[in-house]
Amino acid sequence: MGFLAPLMLAGVVAIGVPIAIHLIGRRRARVVKFAALDFLMATKRRTARRLRLRERALLVVRALACAAVALALAKPFTSCARKGPQVTRGPQAAVLVIDDSFATGYMIDGKPWIKVAAEEARKVLVQLGPEAEVAIVRASEGADHPTELTRDHLRLRDQLLALDASARPADTSRALARAAQLLAASSHARKTVFLISLLARTGLREEAAWGSDGPMLSVIDVRPPKLPNLAVVGLRVDADEGTGGRGVAIEADVANFDGSGAGSEVPKVELSLMIADHVVARGQLELPPGATKTKKFLAALPAGARASDASVALATDDALPIDDRRFVRAQLRDEVRVLLVDGDPRSVRHDDELFYLEAALRPGDREDSGTQIRAITAEELAGITPGARADAKLALDDFDVVVLANVPALPAEQVAVLADWVRAGGGILVAPGDHVDPAAYDRTMLPLLPQGLRDPIDTTWGASPEDRDSRALHLVKWEADHPIFTPFSKDAPELADAKYFKISLLGPTTNTLDRQVLARFTNGAAALVEASVGSGRTLLYTSTLDRDWNDLPIHPGFVPLLHQAMRHLARKHALGTTTDHVVGAAVTLPTGDLQRLEVRGPDGLGAVFEGDRIAGRSQVRFTRTDRPGIYRVIGTDAAGGTRDRDELAFAVNLDPHGSDLAEAPASALPRSGTGANGEPADESRRIELWHALAAALLLLLLAEGVLVQR
Amino acid sequence: MADVAPSLKRLDPAELARLGSLPIKARVIVEGALSGMHRASVHGSSVEFAEHKEYAAGDELRHVDWKAYAKQDRYYVKQFEQESQLAVYLVLDASASMAFSGGGIPKVQYAGLLLAALAHLVIQQQDKVGLVACGDRALETVVPPRARTTHLHDLLGVLDAVMVRGGQGDESPAHALGRIAELTRRRRALIVLASDLFDADGEVLDALATLRAQRHDVSVVHVLDPHERSFPYDGLTQFEALESGNRVLVNPAAIKRDYLARMDAFLAGVRDKLAQAGVDYHLTATDKPLEQALLELLIARTRLQPGARR
Repeated sequence: MGFLAPLMLAGVVAIGVPIAIHLIGRRRARVVKFAALDFLMATKRRTARRLRLRERALLVVRALACAAVALALAKPFTSCARKGPQVTRGPQAAVLVIDDSFATGYMIDGKPWIKVAAEEARKVLVQLGPEAEVAIVRASEGADHPTELTRDHLRLRDQLLALDASARPADTSRALARAAQLLAASSHARKTVFLISLLARTGLREEAAWGSDGPMLSVIDVRPPKLPNLAVVGLRVDADEGTGGRGVAIEADVANFDGSGAGSEVPKVELSLMIADHVVARGQLELPPGATKTKKFLAALPAGARASDASVALATDDALPIDDRRFVRAQLRDEVRVLLVDGDPRSVRHDDELFYLEAALRPGDREDSGTQIRAITAEELAGITPGARADAKLALDDFDVVVLANVPALPAEQVAVLADWVRAGGGILVAPGDHVDPAAYDRTMLPLLPQGLRDPIDTTWGASPEDRDSRALHLVKWEADHPIFTPFSKDAPELADAKYFKISLLGPTTNTLDRQVLARFTNGAAALVEASVGSGRTLLYTSTLDRDWNDLPIHPGFVPLLHQAMRHLARKHALGTTTDHVVGAAVTLPTGDLQRLEVRGPDGLGAVFEGDRIAGRSQVRFTRTDRPGIYRVIGTDAAGGTRDRDELAFAVNLDPHGSDLAEAPASALPRSGTGANGEPADESRRIELWHALAAALLLLLLAEGVLVQR
Repeated sequence: MADVAPSLKRLDPAELARLGSLPIKARVIVEGALSGMHRASVHGSSVEFAEHKEYAAGDELRHVDWKAYAKQDRYYVKQFEQESQLAVYLVLDASASMAFSGGGIPKVQYAGLLLAALAHLVIQQQDKVGLVACGDRALETVVPPRARTTHLHDLLGVLDAVMVRGGQGDESPAHALGRIAELTRRRRALIVLASDLFDADGEVLDALATLRAQRHDVSVVHVLDPHERSFPYDGLTQFEALESGNRVLVNPAAIKRDYLARMDAFLAGVRDKLAQAGVDYHLTATDKPLEQALLELLIARTRLQPGARR
């Protein structure tokens, strides 16, 4: 409470006047000797109490009246926070900024909060009156904003009725900025932004939406005092070799956004893992308020499927169910289809050129090795064709990688076919051997080689058997950052210990742009050279893939090196690929040879890419990721075959930031601007009290009069 | 004095009090009162012949009519209507409460003047008159009844001294009345009490009733100050009791109605109780002309002559 004229408070000492008069009056009472005092005494006894009460009441009333005069002259006032929106009817420009983030689906008394917000907005719209030009700006991230203000209040009302919680987080700052832009274009003197929001801090950035000359901001506070929320905020999937080839490890991050502080009892959260619409695992997590914890599930994908939908959901619903579930696409590693061309087939298995290679790529001949191999001889390669053909036994398109192991130089026609295939995206690994003639290779095979071959050198030539090992070469200086070498450390003994007794040397080359030496031997000679050819890759290994020239196949590094090389050549390095997109994000889908591509969202809606939208494009962008869930892709290839493209399906999830409903500080909101009044809108309201005091004084005087008369 | 009397009719008691000595005042009052009457209702001897009766043993020999014995040779005794002179006891309440004056003369002064006039009248009628002044037991004054003229001067002298002294003490007249009852045990008397009757326990009324029961004529002149009847005070006032000295601070306006109601109830109670006992009761205020008060008392006494009395 304050006073406009505090000096007048000095008048409060006037309280002493009636008190003094009362005391002096008692002292100055006339003394009368009286005979019939008994009658007086009897009378007085009866009325004394009443009289005393009356006198005291009179004294109090008079003192209060004196004080009231002084207080009223001092003009006291108090201030209180403005409650409710200050809506003025009449011609003006106004923007209703309404939070429609997914958090507004928060259930309060069985009703989503956004319906409360829409009702408040409707009230404001009615109070503004038909002369007001109004626009409704939704505050969810990426929401479409209106381009102008309108007097069509019926349409605005319909918009409010149709308003529903989106699946996007709040971006209130952007909505306020847009509101300011809309109002700036208005010619009305009075400009107001009405903000109806949950005021989550994640939706407000610490940046001013407008300057001091911006519109007035009226915050309509309909935020419930407490908004506890549990949410699954992250979901990762990875291959879990320990569970088998189909094993996946799924980690779910669960957050307890309860700002009320730690309670005495830590709540237990139950989670369930669903794979392909079946609950396959359940788990429990102790989750104190404000904490985020991770729950790891181990599961196996259904047999026969290389990819599947997975989701983790809270078993118990909370007030905001939409963020209680998160989706992911769990994919086993794509199989690499490898065509092995044996240049030195033998009847004795372990003497065969491909013996170690086959064992490495498909250990134990297991299905879940991630590699599908087919071995042929060099002669069989003669009948290979580029595309799938009904009469052909072999088609290059059925393979991702071709390995030429100790294969003699191929005819130029075959090389051309292979080169075309490589340019289109294929991968080829060439490894020399005793059947390889460098001169013949130089004549025909150069389109498939990163670099020309020269004669091999035998490092043990002339050495005694004792010195043989010491003169052997070793792998050194490999590109540790290259995808092929990512499993290895810089001095990995599983590679470095391998002994190379004979290697092919490489000829000179001027092509340094698309060529890269990935590893060298101790003598500086190249061990592994890579080149890009169109969309494909070629890889030249300068020693054999069996133990003829080296003993790498019996070293631990052989298997991972070859696997990595195969996946690199096949461009399938993303192991256990998971695609995670947030709602509203654009998803890029490769078109391949598809003629038509349809994307279907979890609600059945989606988009179709066909004709000009897909022709000649290597990829398309899908932007209608409006709901969380799994989006399926149905593709139609050139042959007219239409099927689900499991490898293209993707998961869309909520932006986890939107689940944090902690209230934003007042400073996060822009300051209310000048609006129309030329002065900043006061957030508090001054209430002058002197009117009430004057009324009280009047009543006191009346009471005094009544008491005196009695 | 005859030319003075008419003007005295309108004489205020306060002015009368300023006149010379008490005997003069008493006579002024009496003459003022009697001048208004066509005929004195009280005159002649109080001892009048009624009839003869034959002598019987025990009769007084001095009442034997010797002339009748000479004529008829038989002893006759004279019978008188009143066997002796009337003894009048004047009782003046001179307690402190009687000293109250609301602006006129104090009640004790008024009562004293009235009793002095009565004494004057009684002596004129050759009856005996005595005085008892009560109030302060230490100063209680008793003048035995006598019928001589010189006695009147003595009595009025005593009365004057009491009036000059003013009201003192808180002794109730009941004690004085009790003494009179003892003194007049064998002879009827007229007892006139002038008092405000402000005794707390009402024993005065009981004493008066006792006297009446002993077949005495009892008259009460109830003297009140006009202020005690009207309570004309205003503003915060501290009333001080004359007898006890107790003080009480009151707002008279606030209690006036209640006080007057209590006063009326008191007066009605006194009147009823005295009427019940057969006591002659006269209420008078100190602003009432004394001769008028005296006249009213006398007229009432006339009505109470033998034959009219119960």
